[in-house]
Amino acid sequence: MDLKQKQELLKLLRAELKDGFLGEEPSGENRLWAEVKREALVRAAELLLQAGGRYQVGIGYDARKSGKGFALIHSFAFDRDGLIAAIRAFAPAEDPEFDSLTPIIPGAGWSEREYQDLLGLRFKNLSNGKRLVLSDDWPEGIYPLRADIPYDLMPPSAEEVAFRLEQAPPGTTVIPFGPFHASLHEPAHFSVFVDGENIKGCEYRGFMVHRGIEKLAQTELTYNDIPFLAERICGICGSVHSVNYAQAVEAASGLKISRRAEFIRVVLLELERLHSHLLWLGVAGHLIGYDTVFMQAWRIREKIMWLAESLTGNRKTYGMVIIGGVRRDITSDQAENIKRVLGEVEKEMLQLEKAIIKDKTIQRRMRGVGYLSREEAIRWNLVGPVARARGLALDSRKDHPYAAYDELVFDVPVVEDGDVWGTMVVRIKEVYEAIRIIRQCLDKMPADRPLALELEGPIPPGKQGLSVVEAPRGEAVHYVLTGDGQQPERWRVRAPTYPNLQAVPAMLLDNKLADFPIIVGSIDPCISCTDRVLVVELRSNSKRLLKKEELESISRKMRPGK
Amino acid sequence: MKAAVVTLNLLYFLALAPLFEGVMRKLTARIQSRQGPPVYQPYLDLAKLIGKDNFNSAGNWVFRLAPLLAFSSVLAALSLLPVAGRASWFSGASDLMTLIYLLTLSGFSLLLGALASGNAFSAVGASREMMTIVMLEPVLAMSLILGAVKSGSFSLAAALSGIGGTKGVSYFLMLSVYLLALQAFVSRQPFDIPEAEVEILEGPYLEYSGPNYALFRYTLNLKRMFYSWLLAAGFLNFFGSPGLILSLVLQTAVILVVCVVVSVIGATHPRFRIDQALKYYAVLVLLALVAVGFGVKGF
Repeated sequence: MDLKQKQELLKLLRAELKDGFLGEEPSGENRLWAEVKREALVRAAELLLQAGGRYQVGIGYDARKSGKGFALIHSFAFDRDGLIAAIRAFAPAEDPEFDSLTPIIPGAGWSEREYQDLLGLRFKNLSNGKRLVLSDDWPEGIYPLRADIPYDLMPPSAEEVAFRLEQAPPGTTVIPFGPFHASLHEPAHFSVFVDGENIKGCEYRGFMVHRGIEKLAQTELTYNDIPFLAERICGICGSVHSVNYAQAVEAASGLKISRRAEFIRVVLLELERLHSHLLWLGVAGHLIGYDTVFMQAWRIREKIMWLAESLTGNRKTYGMVIIGGVRRDITSDQAENIKRVLGEVEKEMLQLEKAIIKDKTIQRRMRGVGYLSREEAIRWNLVGPVARARGLALDSRKDHPYAAYDELVFDVPVVEDGDVWGTMVVRIKEVYEAIRIIRQCLDKMPADRPLALELEGPIPPGKQGLSVVEAPRGEAVHYVLTGDGQQPERWRVRAPTYPNLQAVPAMLLDNKLADFPIIVGSIDPCISCTDRVLVVELRSNSKRLLKKEELESISRKMRPGK
Repeated sequence: MKAAVVTLNLLYFLALAPLFEGVMRKLTARIQSRQGPPVYQPYLDLAKLIGKDNFNSAGNWVFRLAPLLAFSSVLAALSLLPVAGRASWFSGASDLMTLIYLLTLSGFSLLLGALASGNAFSAVGASREMMTIVMLEPVLAMSLILGAVKSGSFSLAAALSGIGGTKGVSYFLMLSVYLLALQAFVSRQPFDIPEAEVEILEGPYLEYSGPNYALFRYTLNLKRMFYSWLLAAGFLNFFGSPGLILSLVLQTAVILVVCVVVSVIGATHPRFRIDQALKYYAVLVLLALVAVGFGVKGF
């Protein structure tokens, strides 16, 4: 089957689901919002999958206020057609059960487990029903994402409920990588089963650094506060999240921002890609014991950080994006400075690349390591450089153009290696592409105004917006359902590490223990992006939450005109 | 007088061993565009570690004894070494096998300590260390045995001067093998596999802290210096007997050069995997055997 158009997809869903298909919400050419009966959800997903869709994310929310119970959305990207199709189903509040997608899409497991924990949904045929998001001592029966649970609830800990890790298979021993380990830069726990030096299996337990960001935004903040919170989801790709959130709201409310603002957003995103890839290259060197690469890559990266500081006032967490545009312009002096720094970075990067690509020892440590076939990569819905190293030409900038990318000329590097080496080659090539894109932006940027639109009146409730941004690590997805007041009813963030991390146990299998750090490192895991949702961090001594007043005072200072 | 020379030699090693680590750290830092710590930093590190409480995290006596055994066996090995080409005070009671045994004992003490600590990462480190010892110690043994074969004596002083005595095929082959193995002897990249910080968190040393750890660090420094010294005193024994002081100065210079080379190689290579390293060691052992074979035949 080769379906190219939205209309054909709709026709297919209608014909195959019959009365299971409930209707379609009108929207632009590149989004499809369909509603189906919950019994037909798996069949609909199967149809979309067979039609060439790539599973993105599951989005669950509490719709009891409107009397519809609980909603579950599954979104699929049709990358060649620039289309994203989302199917929504409702389950009554007293029986919140859906059929699991995991038998056909293993990568849907995390989304479903997330809502099992947070919303109290139940899933039939879920392959692994263990807790994913909630901490082990969170009491049963309290579902933090439900509307009647306050964002700052701190229930007493449940007792004697430690997470049960799997027993090591016979003939193997457990090596605990985590929750804190020198090769992991954030808390995460891989329990690795080894036979001598050979990895025979692995179980992952993560979500240890939840900050309750989505819940906080849905209950305590207003639309234009959230970009600054979104930016703090990640310490590396903050702009990805603030741009992504702003785009989702703009899509939901039909705002069209000025072209110059779009170009400035692209410059920010590509600067982030530059420093993120250089950061990764350094970390990768460190992980295979090559600290000279580490230090040299970070020395080059430092210039990008200084550049970002001169443009935005901050090395990271730029605070540039709001709904309707950006907060600062790029002057012609600044543009000259950008070009000069990019020239230096490009020159030094070429030298570093030459040293790395020709190094036989690096090749021996990276080639064939962490191999995953193209078919497996599709099965696990991999995104970003991890997918592009396995022959999949996925790039949201090309497939679902946003901001000003439709006007920019760049290549998407794809290699067929399927291993750690491939991900490194892709990232190195992307450094040059990012430089090329920024240069074009500076030349092509029109002078139209305003930089930021004023929001005219309240944003109408019940509108859906779904935006994708190609983060340095791959496609990031933001979903916004507008609410009654001055805040979204539901805001869902899916970082690129979310699908990629699910495939890591498959990459680790039958590799050497010594390769564990670089294999996990090859997806450039961003744990803070992935673990964003939980309401309260329950680990007894770390109850520090960002207080509403603190956050407000931080955000207010940044708001334009105040 | 002879006792004084042994003491002087021990003091020479104890005083300078941390300095060479400092030199390596400084050089590595400069290659990596870093400022680096001052060259005397290892002395400060040792002093700081020795000043801490001695904490026995494993709670058994093997864990406590292992660093003492490692340190004392290296000291014993060093006291056997000839100084400026002249046999040591202990040479009547020892030969080159004693030296090899003592050095291996020091390595095995580290294994004992790692296994006694009960840590999973230490256990992985210990198994890597064990494989390294098994594959690498023969290279050291062969070098000394070649000397013994050439000089016809198992005495340490004779064997050492024998290595560099006549410069035939066996000498050059063994010299190249030794140079190729040197990076592994001093356990720097690409051969710092048993420690491998990002993989197994310094492996065997993981549970050690304070004075116990200081002893292991000092042991490592002394061993590194010994392997560099062997190059100067054995293979490059071209300074004849120019007197005690001059010979000490010359060998110190050679050790410094080794430090520089080791740092440059270490800073320009990633770490090998243990299976890759073992293949490399196997080739070295074979070549060393061939060199001894040539030596026996008089080449």
